[in-house]
Amino acid sequence: MNTNNSLSLMQSIATFSLMSSLGFAYVINPIENSLLFQATDSIVGGLYQREVLESLNKSVVGGLLLGLFIGTLNVFLDMSKKVYDYFLIFVFVISILIFIASIRDYDSFPYVLTQQLFVWFWIGLPISLGITGIWLNRVGNQVASAFLILVMPLGILGNTNDQIYPILAFVLSYMLYLELSYGHVRYSRLARIMHYSKEYETVLQWFLLTLVITLALTIILTSLAFLFHTFLGNFLPYSFSNSIEYNTIYGQALSILVFFMLWAVVQTLFSRGYLARQVED
Amino acid sequence: MWTRKAVVYVGLGIILVLFSPFINNLQLFLLGTTILGFVAVHSLVNTRPIDIKITRSFDTDQIFENSDVNVDLIIQNKGRPVGFLEIYDNLPSEVEVSNGLNHTIVKLRKDELVINKYLLNCRLRGQFRLGNPRLRIYNPSFLFYYESDIESKSSLVVLPQMEQIEGVDLSTDFPKMYQGAMPIRRIGTSGEFYGIREYFPGDDFKNINWRVFGRTRKLMVNQFEREDISDIMIVLDAREITGTGTVLQNPLNYSCRAAASLVSFFLRSRNRVGLITYGETINVISPDTGERHLYRLLTTLAEIQASGALGLHTILGDLRNFTPRSPVMVISTLENDRTSASALREITARGFKLTVIAPDTLDFDRDSRIISPTVYFTASASLDNKITEARSLGARAMRWNPETVLSTSLAEVIR
Repeated sequence: MNTNNSLSLMQSIATFSLMSSLGFAYVINPIENSLLFQATDSIVGGLYQREVLESLNKSVVGGLLLGLFIGTLNVFLDMSKKVYDYFLIFVFVISILIFIASIRDYDSFPYVLTQQLFVWFWIGLPISLGITGIWLNRVGNQVASAFLILVMPLGILGNTNDQIYPILAFVLSYMLYLELSYGHVRYSRLARIMHYSKEYETVLQWFLLTLVITLALTIILTSLAFLFHTFLGNFLPYSFSNSIEYNTIYGQALSILVFFMLWAVVQTLFSRGYLARQVED
Repeated sequence: MWTRKAVVYVGLGIILVLFSPFINNLQLFLLGTTILGFVAVHSLVNTRPIDIKITRSFDTDQIFENSDVNVDLIIQNKGRPVGFLEIYDNLPSEVEVSNGLNHTIVKLRKDELVINKYLLNCRLRGQFRLGNPRLRIYNPSFLFYYESDIESKSSLVVLPQMEQIEGVDLSTDFPKMYQGAMPIRRIGTSGEFYGIREYFPGDDFKNINWRVFGRTRKLMVNQFEREDISDIMIVLDAREITGTGTVLQNPLNYSCRAAASLVSFFLRSRNRVGLITYGETINVISPDTGERHLYRLLTTLAEIQASGALGLHTILGDLRNFTPRSPVMVISTLENDRTSASALREITARGFKLTVIAPDTLDFDRDSRIISPTVYFTASASLDNKITEARSLGARAMRWNPETVLSTSLAEVIR
C-alpha cells in the first residue's frame, strides 16, 4: 500500500467513525431527551407560536445523511475558490428570496420542507463540520465537531450500565475519529515534506498498527481502572467502602482519578525520559 | 515533553470523569476514563531512551562554488527499535538543498542503518560548518515528544569558482631561468609550435612558413613557445569595503574567483605563484608550485572574509623579498584607499611588472539599489581615475566587469 492509499484509508475510517459516533450518541441519548433540541423546540415554538418540531421528522439517519451531503459538497466546492464563492452567493440569494417571499405571503414551495431541512441540518451539523475537518485538514472543524458530538445529544436523564454496548461502541468510534482525523492532519503535512518517501510509508503503517494495539490496551487499562475501584474498597475503612457515595458513580470517578494519579507517580519514578545518547562522530 | 494534544486530552478526560457523575452520564464517564487510559498507554510507546549514531559523508573532497555535492547522512540505530524518528540536518544558510531533503522521518529497527541522501548546491565560497543533526522523537499519536541534538559536526570547504584562462600572456619579459626549465604557453624560440603571424621586416627567414605562402601568397612566420618560468605574486584586496553588495555578488567574491583562475592558470604552466591578502591583517603565502600548493591557495581564497581597512601600502614590505622584475597582479577595487596611488608607484618603481584588475560591481549595486545613482557616478569616476593613474605608471590596469569572461578582458589590456 502506498502512502496516498494509507492516508485515504485513514480519512475514510475517520469519516465512518465520525458518523457512527454521532449515531451511537443518539442511540444512547434519544433525540427527544436532548437538552439542545428541547431548547431549539422551545425557541422555534416561541417564534411560530405553535409546536413546529413536533410535526417534523427528527430522524437521526436523515440528519446524518444530510450532514454527509453538506460536508462532501463543501469539500468538493473547496477545490475551486471561484465556484465556492459563487455557490455561497447563490445560497445567500435563495435564502433572501425565500425570506422576502414569506413576508409577502407567497410560498414558492412548502415551508415544511425548509423546516425539515433545517432540523436535519441541525442534527447533521457535527458530521458536515467533521467531514470538512477530515478531508480539508482543518483541526478547528474537527474540534468543533468532536465537541458537538458530545454536547448536542446530552440530556438530563443520563444513562446507565444497561446501555453499556452502545456506550462502548460510541467510545471506540469517537476515539478512532479523534485519532485518525488529527493523525491524518499531522501525517499528511509530514508526507508533503517527505515527498511520500518509502521510509515514511513504514512510519505511517506503524502508526496505524500502533493505534489499533493501543486502543485495545486502553480498553484493558480502562477495565483495570474500573476494577481498581473494587480493589481500593478492600483497603479502605469499612464505613467508607460501604458508604452510598463510594458505591455510586461519584466513588468510581474518584477511584479512577486515584488510579491514574498512581500511574503517573509510578511512571515519573521509573521513567528515564527520552534520553537520546549522544554519540561522537 | 507533553504536546498540546496530550494536555487537552488529559484536561478533557479529567473534566468528563468529574463532571459526568453530576448528570449521571456513564457515556461521558467512560469516555473520560478511556481518554485518560489512552494517554497512559501512549506514555509507554516510543518513549524509552534511544541510541542513535549519525555521520555524514561527501562524495568529493574538492567542492567548488556553484557546484553540487552529494551528502550521505548515515543513521545507525544502536539501541531499541524506534517507530518515529524525525531527523533534521542543520545546514548553514550559504548552501541549499537542490535534490532530496535534509529533513526526514524514519522508522528504525534494532541495529538498522538508513542512509538519507541529498544534494547540496554550494553557491558561495567559504568554509562552512554543518552543525549537529537535530532529532525529534514522537510517540505515534503525537502525545509526547523529545528533541535532542546528536554530536556530528562536519566541515565543508567550498573553493572559489575557477575560469579557464587560455591564450593570455601574463608573464614577465624577465623569466627566471632554472635548469631543466618547464615550458609555458608563451611565444619564444623553443621547438614547440605556438602559432603563425604575418611576416615583418627583420623576422628570421628560417621561420617563414612556406606552405602557407604557397597557399595564400602571403608571407607568414611560425611562432614557437618560449621555455621559461617565472615567479608571480597575486595581491588580493580583502578590506571590509570589498564585501559591499549582496552575499553572492560583491567585489571580494569576484576577486577570489579571478585570483583562483589566475593561480590555476599559472600553476598549470609550471610557474611559481604566491598570494598576499590584506584587509584586517596581511596574510602572505610564499611562491611555490605544485598541486598541493594550488589546494593551499584555493583553501586560503575560500576562507577569506571581508574585514579591516589596511591600505595597499602595507604589503610593500612583503614584496621586498620577492623576485625582482617579476609580475605582480593586484586584484582590488582600490576604493577608499588613499595609499593605493603611492603603493602602485612604489611597486612599479621596484621594477615589478604590475597588472591591476579592479572588479567592478558598481552597475549591479546601482541596479539593485544598493547604492544611489549619485554614489554610482562618484565611485565610477574615482575608479576611472585610479585606473588611468595606474596606466600612467606603466601598469596594465583594467576595470573588470565580472559578467564578462576574465581572459577576454585581460586580453584587451595585454595586447
